[in-house]
Amino acid sequence: MSVAAASRAAPRGSGLARLLNGPHDIGRTPGAWAVLAAGLASFLVYPHWATAFQATNVAYYLLNIPMALGLSLLWGYGGVLSFGQVAFFAVAGYVYGIVAGNLPDAPWGTWLGVVSGLGASAALAAVFGYFIFYARVAAWIVPILTLVLALLLSTFLGLTAGSMWTVGQVPLGGYNGMTGIPALQVGTLTFQDYAFYYLTVGVVVLCYIGLRAWVNAHRGQVLMAIREDTLRTELLGYDVRREQLRAFVLAATLAGVSGLLYVQWGNYITPSVTGLQQAALPVVWVAVGGRDSLLAVAICTFLLNQLSYVLSSAGNQYALVIIGALLVAVMMFAPEGIVVTLARRTWRRRR
Amino acid sequence: MSDGDALLRAEGLCKRFGGVVAAQSIDFALRRGELRCVIGPNGAGKSTFFSLLCGIQRPDAGRIVFDGRDITRLKPFQRVRLGIGLTFQTNRAFHAMTVAENLETARRGGAAGDDVHFQTALASFGLAAQLERPASALPHHELQWLEICMALRRGPLLLLLDEPTAGMSPAETARTAEVLTALAADGLAIAVVEHDIAFVRQVAQTVTVLHQGAVFAEGSFAEVTARDDVRRIYLGHVHEAAA
Ligand SMILES: Nc1ncnc2c1ncn2[C@@H]1O[C@H](COP(=O)(O)OP(=O)(O)OP(=O)(O)O)[C@@H](O)[C@H]1O
Ligand SMILES: [Mg+2]
Repeated sequence: MSVAAASRAAPRGSGLARLLNGPHDIGRTPGAWAVLAAGLASFLVYPHWATAFQATNVAYYLLNIPMALGLSLLWGYGGVLSFGQVAFFAVAGYVYGIVAGNLPDAPWGTWLGVVSGLGASAALAAVFGYFIFYARVAAWIVPILTLVLALLLSTFLGLTAGSMWTVGQVPLGGYNGMTGIPALQVGTLTFQDYAFYYLTVGVVVLCYIGLRAWVNAHRGQVLMAIREDTLRTELLGYDVRREQLRAFVLAATLAGVSGLLYVQWGNYITPSVTGLQQAALPVVWVAVGGRDSLLAVAICTFLLNQLSYVLSSAGNQYALVIIGALLVAVMMFAPEGIVVTLARRTWRRRR
Repeated sequence: MSDGDALLRAEGLCKRFGGVVAAQSIDFALRRGELRCVIGPNGAGKSTFFSLLCGIQRPDAGRIVFDGRDITRLKPFQRVRLGIGLTFQTNRAFHAMTVAENLETARRGGAAGDDVHFQTALASFGLAAQLERPASALPHHELQWLEICMALRRGPLLLLLDEPTAGMSPAETARTAEVLTALAADGLAIAVVEHDIAFVRQVAQTVTVLHQGAVFAEGSFAEVTARDDVRRIYLGHVHEAAA
């Protein structure tokens, strides 16, 4: 009997539905799924009533979600805090700009840009992560090292003014950044306005679903085991360094996805996207929402990006101060994150 | 050493922590199917010795041969994959997971042996009925049993247990002893650090006494406990521990 029981216990098969409904995110009841479906449906029909400008703005609030989800995986589920996600965001954006900008006439030029951008983010993360994890540096140094990476990159990009920093026909542009980055194209369709909006919604949904399945699958379980007890996990036969590196590269690639969406949105990128202020923001979105819930992080990233955008476009100088104050308040009164805390309360009341 | 067929052989293991000599030239050999108790007063270096065997600590000198391979330079996870399972002195099952998730996590790491020992242990410890419970809800002795089952999950050749019965009632301790004896009879090599002398009497074929980081005595339970010097360094302490 024990044999049968034990193999049944091998938790959750591989079916996507079972993975999605696994225990490692909030929102598992039929009601919660209905709310999620309704939410998605309203995003899908929203452009019907919105101008292209409004839809593009909403896409802007959404486009950081993949980066935030990656950080949630790395930090919330894996226990490794990174302040350097923006570096991978910037690398993808710049590399896309260089590649796509040099192939303006090739029909697949922008898609080669996508692949190169994501590849560059992943490769940078693989090299950098290798040194971090295989040297087994202490966990508290990782946030500092990743922050240094972001700041170095920002400083370097700031120095790339002038013609000697022109790659092919694309100038990197120093502090003013790279402009005129071509938008993604398929045949005659250019992903701008509504098309960009739908692209962003689609990418965000795919990233969320993929990660939610991932954290509920074996690889996610191992990551949480490492977070709880690294040595115990290693002594079950896991190469902890490799598992952490894998999560790091995945998180960096997701930051790259956001970077690619960002350059579609504005068709420019500057070194400030990987500067000090920006470096802190993903950590704020993730912490305020609730770092060990992907859904909470996604919702919070959307709302906080909207808040900053609305505040700063209303000429408010204090957007960052307000976001910072919010972080402090959340850490004091709802340390698990606002969205997670609210979700738990609602669920408890309903029971 | 005479036993050429030893599953595990440690030769001249040394380890210092600053001024503390935690292991000084430990020689140790274990056969397949042997159940060995390692005893010694607090601070004798028992846990350090196990850390050296499974790779948590690197020895300053000495050599470890396991299943015919020199594993002295291997990382902990590599040794586990070769067939060493270990439990810690404090319970370190994953409290945030269910019993089933703990076992599944263990199943997918580890050495790739067969799992008969695991099945025996799971059934004997009565954990099969508790798979869906969170580990944090288990009483202490069942957590210990769970961690033993995790160490056994992928069929190691050698099981290292650091004070598995600490904090257990006499009945639970006796049950642990029974299960371990059965596993050893089935061919599993087991080394157990223990303070509970009743347990040692019940299970040990051979007892190794560590003292100040060195092997102080080795022999059958009766031989070792009859020695005056062993009594002096150790048995006083045992009576305290038993009280
Ligand atoms: N990581 C370490 N750093 C410094 N000293 C250590 C370390 N680990 C062990 N020691 C020292 O080495 C000596 C042996 O410790 P060890 O834990 O191996 O003893 P033990 O026999 O397991 O004791 P106990 O019965 O209390 O578990 C002790 O003096 C201890 O303080
Ligand atoms: Mg000890």
